[in-house]
Amino acid sequence: MEDQIRKLNQEYGFNLSEDEIQLIAQRTAEFERLFQCLYKVDLAGMTPLLKFDREPS
Amino acid sequence: MSRRSLERKELSRLEVTRLYLERTKRLNPLLNAYVTLTEERALADAARAEQEIQRGLYRGPLHGIPFSIKDNLATNGVRTTAGSKILDDWVPDHDATVVKRLKDAGAIVLGKTNMHEWALGGTTINPFYGTTRNPWDTERIAGGSSGGSAVAVAAGMCLASIGTDSAQSVRNPASMCGIVGLKPTYGRVSQYGTVPGTGAYSTNHTGVLTRTVEDCAWVLQMIAGDDDNDPQSSQESVPNYAQSLGREVRGLRIGLLRGFFDEHMASEVRENFTQAMETLKQLGMQVEEVTTPHINLIPAIKVCTSRVENAAAHDPYLRTRARDYSKQTLYSYISALLTPATTYVMAQRARRLVCDEFDELLKRVQLLVLPTIPFPVPSIEECQSGVIEIDGKKIKRQDARGGLESLCCIPFNVTGLPAISVCCGFSKSGMPMGMQIAGGAFQEDLVLRVAQAYERATEWYKLRPKLTV
Repeated sequence: MEDQIRKLNQEYGFNLSEDEIQLIAQRTAEFERLFQCLYKVDLAGMTPLLKFDREPS
Repeated sequence: MSRRSLERKELSRLEVTRLYLERTKRLNPLLNAYVTLTEERALADAARAEQEIQRGLYRGPLHGIPFSIKDNLATNGVRTTAGSKILDDWVPDHDATVVKRLKDAGAIVLGKTNMHEWALGGTTINPFYGTTRNPWDTERIAGGSSGGSAVAVAAGMCLASIGTDSAQSVRNPASMCGIVGLKPTYGRVSQYGTVPGTGAYSTNHTGVLTRTVEDCAWVLQMIAGDDDNDPQSSQESVPNYAQSLGREVRGLRIGLLRGFFDEHMASEVRENFTQAMETLKQLGMQVEEVTTPHINLIPAIKVCTSRVENAAAHDPYLRTRARDYSKQTLYSYISALLTPATTYVMAQRARRLVCDEFDELLKRVQLLVLPTIPFPVPSIEECQSGVIEIDGKKIKRQDARGGLESLCCIPFNVTGLPAISVCCGFSKSGMPMGMQIAGGAFQEDLVLRVAQAYERATEWYKLRPKLTV
């Protein structure tokens, strides 16, 4: 994770300190844990909802 | 003051505008609701409105009514910062559609209101434009991200305001300031002219903040409808919202929504909300507890889609002006850049599942209700420390799901269903608390009808913060 952040740091020119890289890595890991539930649910037959055309109820 | 009470007073539109501007200039140093006042324009527009009305050219119920606009909605010739350092000198050459429609209806724009940086948070503690303070207790937050808009309405610094709501941002500050906040159905109100990156494509909405439900209905009437400039806006016809107010609510089936947001529900909020349910029953509605099978997926869906979409919108600034973001905002976007595309697509697939389940639920009950915020309004100091107290327990205000105050609101950003927050009482510390009422897609008329029936039955809306400046 830290290496990916360092790569972004170089590409975007963020000028992040090592402490900041560690902090962002920690937060990113928390998000990854939050998103795990998306892979545990059965989404067979579910297409992505990319354009939101609401129909009247 | 509501629009109706203002019309009862025999003041000219110019006098009304002057009074609101004088009050705003007196209170704004204390509350920091506005970041830009457009006094000269407002007085000129009010004088024009008065002349038109005297000549019989009445444009309708918003003619000459003083408004404020959240500072992430483009205003032609008026600075629009989005609460950011990056746009601190940006002056758009166009109006957002919602602003144009209000101006066409004769509304008077008094100025632009403070907001959370890039609308990415629920406190309106803004590192560049200062903290907006709650008029009920200036040591407490106003909520956000449309905090300035809510404070301006609650403190009588305008009669109505327009905000945006990607996770909570209209309903949260409306609840914390004791006013009405409506997030309409996705597509009901155009988003053209909203600063990109201040609300995700999938979950952002333009919303309304007012003192009363009736005012909210009138404002929605003027701003709703299809817009050629916004491909996401809906062609669904716009009903007469004011006409639906006052109609029968007896016999309606109400679902008290249960889910992940119950985890941090403070006992004071529960007690207050139980009272609100009793009032709905006394009005003749049937209330039952409901939920949906995959409701607990909502925080992951919301966070994943919003963060990725926002980061994409910010990419040019991240490459050129990264250090002009607050650290928290910058870290959030960098982290979002690391989210795999496959995770984003999984979130959008799961969103369809959740939407289908909500649509199914709304065949069984006609409306859904739940508190707007799970705990009473925290202090500015608590929010700055990152720790709030709920029922004697110290809890981190934010986790990977975002601010805990957003948890009750996000189901209706993910599903795009209309939801309104109305005041449903006060905490022991004297702070307002809100109840959300949500309905099926494009059923704002029903949502407004029930909200007004509740408002009239309780009259919390008549209470005003005591401000002595």
